[in-house]
Amino acid sequence: MTMSHAIEVHGVSKRYGDGPLVLDGIDFYARSGEFVSFVGPSGCGKSTLFNIVTGLLAPSSGRVLVNGVETTGSPSRSIGYVLQKDLLMPWRTIMRNVILGLEVHRVGRAEARRRASALFDAYHLTGHEDAYPGQLSGGMRQRAALMRTMVTDPDIILMDEAYKALDYPLKIQLESELMDTVKAAGKTVVFVTHDIEEAVTLSDRVYVLKAHPGQLVQEIEIDLGTDSHAINERRLASAFNDYYETIWRSIGAGGRTEVAA
Amino acid sequence: MTAFQIEDAQTGAVRTRPARSRNRHPASRRRTLLVFLQVAIVVAFLAVWQWGATGGWISTFLFSSPEQIISVLAQNITTGELWTDMGVTAQEVLIGFAVGAVGGSALGLLLWYSRFVADLSAPFITAIGSIPVLAVAPMMIIWFGTGLVSKVVIVGFSCVIVSLTNAYRGAQRVDPDLLDLMRSFGSSKTQAFTKAIVPGAMSWVVAGLKLNVGFAIIGAVVGEFISSSAGVGHMIVTGSSSFAMNQVLAGVVVVMAMVLAFGLLIDLLERALFRWER
Repeated sequence: MTMSHAIEVHGVSKRYGDGPLVLDGIDFYARSGEFVSFVGPSGCGKSTLFNIVTGLLAPSSGRVLVNGVETTGSPSRSIGYVLQKDLLMPWRTIMRNVILGLEVHRVGRAEARRRASALFDAYHLTGHEDAYPGQLSGGMRQRAALMRTMVTDPDIILMDEAYKALDYPLKIQLESELMDTVKAAGKTVVFVTHDIEEAVTLSDRVYVLKAHPGQLVQEIEIDLGTDSHAINERRLASAFNDYYETIWRSIGAGGRTEVAA
Repeated sequence: MTAFQIEDAQTGAVRTRPARSRNRHPASRRRTLLVFLQVAIVVAFLAVWQWGATGGWISTFLFSSPEQIISVLAQNITTGELWTDMGVTAQEVLIGFAVGAVGGSALGLLLWYSRFVADLSAPFITAIGSIPVLAVAPMMIIWFGTGLVSKVVIVGFSCVIVSLTNAYRGAQRVDPDLLDLMRSFGSSKTQAFTKAIVPGAMSWVVAGLKLNVGFAIIGAVVGEFISSSAGVGHMIVTGSSSFAMNQVLAGVVVVMAMVLAFGLLIDLLERALFRWER
């Protein structure tokens, strides 16, 4: 019997209408509990790929399997996602934002609140349950957004440039918290970013994409030789620079050097 | 030298500066000043009007006077006629508003369900919206009689298109990423509608309701002008047909008061709905 991966994507291509090919024959997988990142220049179709994997967008060809079940073109409950925009509803309190997914899944109000309450401490949001998003800082809002995803307990979390809008120290802190959370819960993460540093620091494996059309050019296993989840420690690992350079060159070889690192 | 005086370094003169504590809420002081000036303008206007009427250089036949208007209002209050007129008009406005503005808002939001139906109906909505209520009001009276129903229809007609277009626009402006988020949770279209579209479009809906406060009352008064046995519009139209300017203007004052009161209700609704904004 073969174990199926958390995510398997086979030969996914996408073109919008009669436009040019945005994604061309993408094959990738993510093992259960693995942290996989995609890096690439703008125009490499990262966000399109993201939407195809979440099931929000149907590919022109190819298949998406989640835990061995084909989900192509329809959102799977096993997948939660977090975007750069926190997408908190300004008219809902933080608590009611966090339980949004549970409400959609028709979990009773009391039970939903009970499950969410258990998380507020870990996300440093205790005491802000009844605050409105407009009263919180950007970092707190992004934490609340992650909580909203985590409380539905998806096996797989997709993140698209989730920490792009945050300032550097906050980004480092939230990345550390993310690693603690997902590793402890054994979640599979697919992380889309343009930031090579972020990809190397967080990931077990990095896929490099090139643009026009979006194609995979390289797959790199990352082993920083440390089990620490502290981002700064991981960045100081001796292997870090080698991985950084490999990916940098790989993106350059893809024909574009337009990369913000 | 007091604490609120500072010495000007160049001239050596002493300038006074307002106490710090008084300056702590410049916005609220500005507001107080504005309200004070607004009230003062009204009082001055009424005083000059009354003074001219008493002195004989403003014709009370053409312009009446504040005193005469107040006495008409007082008389109508004692006879109870004022409450009857206001009650009749308020009933027409409230029912017509509920049907037209609230119903229109609901329809506008529901159009979100089908882009096709929305696009199909767009030119018809524009066409209906361009009809002046005065042009069709006489027909409504013929169709629905001279009683409450025709007035409700006229008021509803005055409100429906503004509310419908506002609500539809609000629904369209809801962040598509938010709808994707709902879909990623596996939400049904109805869940997306009730949890994202309706609350997300609410500021547009309320803006439409606010605009319609005035339109609703205009609709009711227009209906009463054409045919009525009671109501504030009836009060104005009978006054003007007997050249009783004091009665006409008393009616105008009542209309203004009703628009203000109704507007206040909508403000309260807005405050209740948008607690999160503060």
